[in-house]
Amino acid sequence: MGAALRFDVMHFMPYVHLPENHKDFKTTWVSFPNKFYDPEKAHELYQRYFEQLILADRLGFDAIVLNEHHNTVYSMMATPSVVASALIPQTKKARICIWGVPPNFMLPNRLAEEYAIMDVMSKGRLEIAFPLGTGMEYWSNPVSPVTAREKFKESLKVMLQAWTADGPTTHQGKFYTYRYLNPWPRPYQKPHPPCYIVGSGSPETIELAAELGFGYSSVFVPQKVAQDLNQRLRARAADFGHTIRPDQLPLLNFVYVAETEEQAEREYIVHLQRFFEDYARSTPQWLAPPGYLSVDQLKIRAAGADKMHGGFDFKAISSAFFIAVGTPEKVANLIGEWTHRMGTNHINSVMHVADMPHWKAVKNMTLFAEQVMPRLRQAGGAQ
Amino acid sequence: MSKFVREELTVDGVKTVVYSAGKGEPLVLFHGAGTVDGFDFAEPWAEKFRVIVPYHPGFGESGDDPTITDIHDYVMHYLELFDALKVDTMRLVGLSMGGYLAAKFASEHGHRVKKLVLMAPYGLHVPEHPTLDIIATPGEELVPMLVSNFDALKKRLPEKPDMEFIGARYREATSFARLFWEHPTDPKFRRHLHRVKMPTLIVWGDEDKVIPVQQAQTWRGLIPNAEVMVVKGAGHIVQLDKPETVDAIGRFLV
Repeated sequence: MGAALRFDVMHFMPYVHLPENHKDFKTTWVSFPNKFYDPEKAHELYQRYFEQLILADRLGFDAIVLNEHHNTVYSMMATPSVVASALIPQTKKARICIWGVPPNFMLPNRLAEEYAIMDVMSKGRLEIAFPLGTGMEYWSNPVSPVTAREKFKESLKVMLQAWTADGPTTHQGKFYTYRYLNPWPRPYQKPHPPCYIVGSGSPETIELAAELGFGYSSVFVPQKVAQDLNQRLRARAADFGHTIRPDQLPLLNFVYVAETEEQAEREYIVHLQRFFEDYARSTPQWLAPPGYLSVDQLKIRAAGADKMHGGFDFKAISSAFFIAVGTPEKVANLIGEWTHRMGTNHINSVMHVADMPHWKAVKNMTLFAEQVMPRLRQAGGAQ
Repeated sequence: MSKFVREELTVDGVKTVVYSAGKGEPLVLFHGAGTVDGFDFAEPWAEKFRVIVPYHPGFGESGDDPTITDIHDYVMHYLELFDALKVDTMRLVGLSMGGYLAAKFASEHGHRVKKLVLMAPYGLHVPEHPTLDIIATPGEELVPMLVSNFDALKKRLPEKPDMEFIGARYREATSFARLFWEHPTDPKFRRHLHRVKMPTLIVWGDEDKVIPVQQAQTWRGLIPNAEVMVVKGAGHIVQLDKPETVDAIGRFLV
């Protein structure tokens, strides 16, 4: 298992045409006025982003990762299944990973059907991660954050039943009743496409992944915390009789490769800064709608947010999180070190951020595929 | 709070904290969706009544009950609690969300409520005078909107960011959202308000920035035996802005 490193490209597909006065808005999520959305510009962006992801397939990346966010410039993938469907016939080898739709936002049979159809259309290239969704998604959708986890869990149960049990079956739960659960698309992969849970470190989420034997990826948590989360998942999954493989622990990271370190920083940092300051700009209230977190988690995060004053500091942020910027050699070394520390062989890299121009994304992916991947494949990943 | 005596009960498996003071016929006070404003103002009523102030499950000193998902579940909780406290009939006073609960209780168990006081009650959808969406309003904006004279509330707030305080407010917001995130109001509620037949006093501050004072007239139109007392210069937490309101309510309750 160890030598088979796997490289994903994750894309946010941001809407990059922010109005000049966007700093006047405390956030670019939830309530950021959609009059600033220009469909013609968005069309151009989709063309550009599809080109990048199709290139990723050609360059030999193992997977393309999509995600879902609502009411924001951060992502143009409010319904990622639609985007994934468009990519399926345009790609050949890369797996398509939807990271994903909060299952509690959907009728679970319909989500099971969407995913099964895509798995069949792509001849078994689909992978799925289940997020609870950021707090912002709850302000944007008619779904209570208070019962989110409970509904999420029931939704997953229905989906797994839809995929794995011969129908028709029934389901009578707190949120959903099925008299004939008997979806006609059934997944191409058996028993179902590989599944992960995405989280930002809530113990409840780890617990669920452990119970189901699903993979887990933390997002936007510091390196040390991410490492502890992976360890915790392995230990808890073992209690449930599951062994978590390295490939089940995708490591989300931000990468930019250039000829020299100085050039990489010059070309990249401005976009990364905009990513954090502008595209990910939210409010404490929106990050944590009532009931979305336990009171204990809320206190931990509020205390953490309290400490994060001051402006964008590239050195601090890149050493705290998984961010590799520099020459192919430096980036390969950093990623190699992370895979060992995190016990994974599954690298999920964001290679386009914020308003990065097309040429930089293409250059970044190309250099990564041609000069970073071979170095790492040679060295091997976590055992 | 000197006169109040704390009592801890278990109701349906949930820790329920009740403060009581005075002797006589029971007077129950239902607090609102936040407990920061306290209930010490109710002390004068203890001269004539057995004043009972329970913390709702999910608020203040009481425990959590995630199975309480609508206002009627709270009514059921109080049927149990009143049995435990041996309270049969009562005067009932409710503030804001507690006013909604009091009116709901009175519409279902009218024979047990001798007199009802609703202080800026939550619960009606009045499109021409809409209630502020308190779930969507950030805490730091909401708190100053609760009163006209902020000093009255300020002394009850921590001076510096306080994680315990933030956590307690988040927990109460969660309990509120458990009831009202998906359905802020129940359209069927109005239909049953005509069953509230006891003498009812509707108290409202004319500077209420959370639930507009005009809604008082809607309530009066739906409750047969209601009178309205508008308190000039008072915001949503009427009694903090105008403490003399407490005596006026006391006179109505006798």
